[in-house]
Amino acid sequence: MKKKLVCMVLAATVITTALASCGKKNSENDGTSADGATKVTIWSPTDEPAVEEWWVEKISEFNEENKGEIEISREAIVRADSYAYEDKINAALTSNDLPDILYVDGPNIANYAANDVIAPIDDYFTEEDLADFVDSIKVQGTYEDKLYALGATESSVALYYNKDMTDAANIEMPTKLEDALTWSEYADIAAKLTTDTVVGTNIIMDQGEGLPYVLEQFWISNHTDFVSEDGKVAEGYVNGEQGIEAATFLNDLIQNGYANVNPIQKEFHNGNAATMLGGSWEVATLQNEYPDFNWGVTYFPVADNDGENTSPTGDWAACLTSSSKNSEAAGKVLNFLMNKDNVASYAKAIAKLPTRVSTYDSLPEYNEYPLSLFKEQSMNTGSPRPRTPSYTVLSPGFSKAMMNIFTGADIKTELDQVAADYEDDYSKNYSK
Amino acid sequence: MKTKTRKKKYEKRAAYIFVIPAVLLLFAFLILPGISTIRYAFTDYNIMRPDDINFIGLQNFINLFQDKDFLKSIWNTFHFTIFVVPFQCLLALGLALLVSSRRRGVSIFRAAYFSPMVTSMVVVAILWSVLYNPNPNNGLINAFIVKLGLEPIGFLSNPKTAMNSIVFMSAWQAAGYQMMIFLAGLQGIPEEQYEAGAIDGAGSIRRFIYITLPGLKNVIKYVIMITMIQAMKIFTQPYVMTKGGPQNATRTLVYYIYEQGFQSRNFGYACAVATIFFVIVISMSLVLKKIIKAD
Repeated sequence: MKKKLVCMVLAATVITTALASCGKKNSENDGTSADGATKVTIWSPTDEPAVEEWWVEKISEFNEENKGEIEISREAIVRADSYAYEDKINAALTSNDLPDILYVDGPNIANYAANDVIAPIDDYFTEEDLADFVDSIKVQGTYEDKLYALGATESSVALYYNKDMTDAANIEMPTKLEDALTWSEYADIAAKLTTDTVVGTNIIMDQGEGLPYVLEQFWISNHTDFVSEDGKVAEGYVNGEQGIEAATFLNDLIQNGYANVNPIQKEFHNGNAATMLGGSWEVATLQNEYPDFNWGVTYFPVADNDGENTSPTGDWAACLTSSSKNSEAAGKVLNFLMNKDNVASYAKAIAKLPTRVSTYDSLPEYNEYPLSLFKEQSMNTGSPRPRTPSYTVLSPGFSKAMMNIFTGADIKTELDQVAADYEDDYSKNYSK
Repeated sequence: MKTKTRKKKYEKRAAYIFVIPAVLLLFAFLILPGISTIRYAFTDYNIMRPDDINFIGLQNFINLFQDKDFLKSIWNTFHFTIFVVPFQCLLALGLALLVSSRRRGVSIFRAAYFSPMVTSMVVVAILWSVLYNPNPNNGLINAFIVKLGLEPIGFLSNPKTAMNSIVFMSAWQAAGYQMMIFLAGLQGIPEEQYEAGAIDGAGSIRRFIYITLPGLKNVIKYVIMITMIQAMKIFTQPYVMTKGGPQNATRTLVYYIYEQGFQSRNFGYACAVATIFFVIVISMSLVLKKIIKAD
């Protein structure tokens, strides 16, 4: 009898704990916190400590001001060097678990907008407010004439170089945009600086979005792009004659041993690569963590024979999800995150270019080299990635193709595959 | 007599109650998703459009068997399994024999050989991608190769060597576990048999062939079976080390499911691949079970 009782009690405890943990989840989802405030959830990528601190500070500031009305909670999601963040969004879509405010990488906005995952945000900003944002970030966030996303920062990529190495080889790097290195000059420099222990350059930011983000410029500079302006055609663009030229140039850098296929982390920072195509945010890393390192930075290389001056743009931006039950409150939070002070302090924390023109007054460092160079590129030569809903197929397809090419696959075959897969997805899902 | 049957009845009821949580959890996290997977395999489910799922019959399966990437991923999965199973089992057996003696300090080696197993595969995979780095200035293994006066090898960046490099590191990582099982098996062989063998003049090789191997027969079968099923599920290594490349050389079935489902967002198609994967693994286990029962 006693045994039975013990059994029953044990079983009951197991079941109630199981049920209780289910129940807990439900109350979290109804969008209000214990004190009756509307809960607004945010997802954004995990970042450097300075950015994480910025989030903690701003969230507590906002929650304090709006006590009892709105309460923000943020979940930091690991991005890794691949597509882990996007995977998490996709998984949440299947279980309807998206947050109210979702940070997404710029080129994915069109895809989420076309699939009604995110909602237009025009209504939450005044015209005056929007006028203060640089065009590139608004263009990136617009799909079919509606604004879906706004970001606090813009990005740019330029060619960093190890000054000790270039000086030793008597190489003078350009200091004016119109003198930017041509591809053949770039390859020559990489060749000269390659030794037994150092590679001439680093062109692989990561094996995910980093590849199309940086390398698309070689297509654009060579007067073509990945896809047509309207996003319908890839055939003859990514795999067109000029595209193949661009891929061949990049592949030669790898095959000649001037750049590594699998560069280690911080290859340039540690003196294992003489130059690097790196993002504006590396300025802060180099200044703070490598104070003794003698480096410089110059403009993104341009194609030979009158190539176009170009540089990558685009950055993570905040959106409202269509599934949000608290869009009114979320809009208010969005407004707070994108106000002048917060854009300035966020840009400073993440070491990227701010997107509000007026914030440059409070950030004098952008008028001086090296950051002035990134600002100049961003304002004059920035090219956004294709704003097409099929970018989500284009990006991994392109990354994979380039890695295949770098490891010996045929250039034309690989790029043909990218074009075919892209057009297949576009015509299946988005052509009306 | 009556109290005995009553007691039995109580015990039976208690047993059911104990089983309920496990059954509920299995149902919620294994059986239900399994059924959904098979159901979605016959639809055009796109992750972005959960409201627009259409039944398309066998279309996914018809497409699959014309899909070169899918066929290649089946081939890759078998390539991995066929190479890793014997290699890993032999390695484990060798290690077990080394550490089964009762010499002093041998437990340090046991722990050392087992330690990769308790390290997360992600960590191990990242470490090995550094070891395998094709640049001799970064990759330790290539640094040695260059010191010997040979050309560096692009372990993970050459489609010919990528899968075998993954086989090697996977066996290194997991052999410790099988070693422990072999060790338990070895200790189950009575010492007297070895003594008798020694008296009859059998050398250590003959003692191994005629005493150790027969004594481990059942353990060996068990180890081969679990290693095989584990091997079929390979995902982490290509995900972390090669992203399925170079040139699809390491794209395995589970990696292909992930790629189709989450990157291309063709959930229906990914479910069809998963269904086929399920059929392959189930039939493999049934065949293996038959073989084991045959004795």
